Amino acid sequence: MTADRRDTVLEVLALVSGHERDAITDDQDLVADLGLDSPKAVRLLVELEERFDVEIPDDAASGLSTVADLLRLAETYG
Amino acid sequence: MHLLEESPPTTLPDLLRRACAPAHAKTIGLLDGRGRRGEPRPWADFLRDAEDAAGRLVALGVEPGEPVLLGLGTGFEFLELWFGAVLAGALPVAAAPPGGMGANDLVLRRLAAVFERLGGRRVVAAPALAETARAQGLDAFADAIVDPSDVAALAPRPISDAPRDPDDVAFLQLTSGSTGVPRAVRISHAGAAHNPRAMIAAVAACDRRLAAGLREGRASCVSWLPLHHDMGLVGLLLSSLAVGAELWLSAPRTFLGRPQTWLQNLGAAELTVSAAPNFAYQTCVERLEAPGLAGVDLSGWRAALCGAEMIRPETLHAFAERFGSLGFDATAFRPCYGLAEGTLAVTFDTRGEGLRTAPVPAGGAHDAAGPRETACLGAPVLDTEVAVVAPDGSPVPEGAVGEVRVKGPGVFLGYHNDPEETAAALGGGWLRTGDLGFLRAGELYLAGRTKDILLVNGQNLMPHELEWLAESASGGGGVTRAGAFSTVPAGADASAAEGEKAVVVIETGETDAAVLGKIEREVRVDVGRALGIPLADCVFVRRGRLPKTTSGKVQRRELARRYATGELERLESEMSE
Repeated sequence: MTADRRDTVLEVLALVSGHERDAITDDQDLVADLGLDSPKAVRLLVELEERFDVEIPDDAASGLSTVADLLRLAETYG
Repeated sequence: MHLLEESPPTTLPDLLRRACAPAHAKTIGLLDGRGRRGEPRPWADFLRDAEDAAGRLVALGVEPGEPVLLGLGTGFEFLELWFGAVLAGALPVAAAPPGGMGANDLVLRRLAAVFERLGGRRVVAAPALAETARAQGLDAFADAIVDPSDVAALAPRPISDAPRDPDDVAFLQLTSGSTGVPRAVRISHAGAAHNPRAMIAAVAACDRRLAAGLREGRASCVSWLPLHHDMGLVGLLLSSLAVGAELWLSAPRTFLGRPQTWLQNLGAAELTVSAAPNFAYQTCVERLEAPGLAGVDLSGWRAALCGAEMIRPETLHAFAERFGSLGFDATAFRPCYGLAEGTLAVTFDTRGEGLRTAPVPAGGAHDAAGPRETACLGAPVLDTEVAVVAPDGSPVPEGAVGEVRVKGPGVFLGYHNDPEETAAALGGGWLRTGDLGFLRAGELYLAGRTKDILLVNGQNLMPHELEWLAESASGGGGVTRAGAFSTVPAGADASAAEGEKAVVVIETGETDAAVLGKIEREVRVDVGRALGIPLADCVFVRRGRLPKTTSGKVQRRELARRYATGELERLESEMSE
């Protein structure tokens, strides 16, 4: 993954979760540590769709647990 | 078809067939994920497709009275199968397709448990769901899954045209309880045909311009609400059908991802109606600015219904202030009250003056976390009665808080395959709602609830699922019992109007802070992965400090009260002493 893309994902994650971007680490849990409930999870995916100009399917969120999982997803839909 | 019609429909197929008569032909259309309008279809065409779907379900072997679980998202596929099942005399049960963060294994297991309780034979859902179910050992559930495209490939068989009895079950809608699996609420044909009409009458009652628009077929409705929820299914889908309004539907994801699409589509018509829980109005306030919606004119949005969870006055005030410059009129707010067991609508604001509030009587909100100021939810809808009673069933004086009970054509026929719960909820024709409220001048106000359910983002959650996860978290410590509830987080800024969040309180014999930290994280991760919800707080208390009944059941409302008042003796504070 390019540094740019990684930056964008973390930036969006910070925006949606309300956590400081520098405090976000790869091993954090999206729900337990960053507080992403289902409305926020949807918003996160849609923000990524906008930034990367791609379509991410509805069920892409299931199976995502950590920040690292999300970074992998962003790589798939790039 | 109109409210003043002399012989209103008494069954759901009757409602559907009359609504789809060419003379009333309106259209139904879908918005895509970016809120763009697809090709609208006349209801008359839609009826033909639903009849074909009914014939295909018959070809599949579906029998009259058979529950058919539909785990599909918003779209014509779902709509045709749902109405098709009704036309075939089967009982459609709309369920949320699993989604959201985490592995969602509990969500899937819950769906499988619902299916088992229903005693059905078929689940129409995406084939991927079958694979996931099989991977989790849910073989019977996986075997029952039918791919909707396989149904669509069948040649339709003739459907029975035997008339339906208004007192027969028309469909089932799922609702969460505080124990066990979600229950299926049996809605009668009479209720399904009556409740939309009652809502339309209430919507039209105080707004001549809107009433005329509804009568003349100039009104439209925009909805992103899930169709597995009563407010989406009955409140907006069936009501639009009953009144002959143009309908635009989108998936909830469209709103959650791009809330502006809701307002943009509401602003694109002359006279519009929509409904949403409080959290949706709050989402708009948090994420949208009026300048970003330049050109959107909300002056045609004449009825902004608000229900399904406690209305927070701060939210509606903030919404009106934020979007007033786009023409939104605060008198368009129409607070209402309903529940799945009532088909949907029970009370409805018919004054048309916007939000009105009253203070909750002192000591009235049985849980101290309840609101101080509460919204007026209007008067009972057509042919419906509301009473507020003491625990012994006797009426309380005007203005005093008690349990809300409901009588009327919308009251459900019982829970499917659950006579015990049915007997607990229905007595003498009255529905015991489990909600606490009071009446003033014939209008209802809510003050809290007696039911132990968590209400987060307009969704019901079952406390025992969170408790079970918390109790199973080992973390190397000795977790014994847990209690879960939802509350407005302590110290939450009232102006931020945050909704209720989930809290878990855990009894433990452990005192080592590092171990407790590990347990807490494990609980949070397990809850997050299994249910997709974050915990606002995870509190430890010493063994024996959870309030329990003599039989050892955790008293969740008492726990919530102690949490809110600060009476709960937290282990952390004891340790630091």
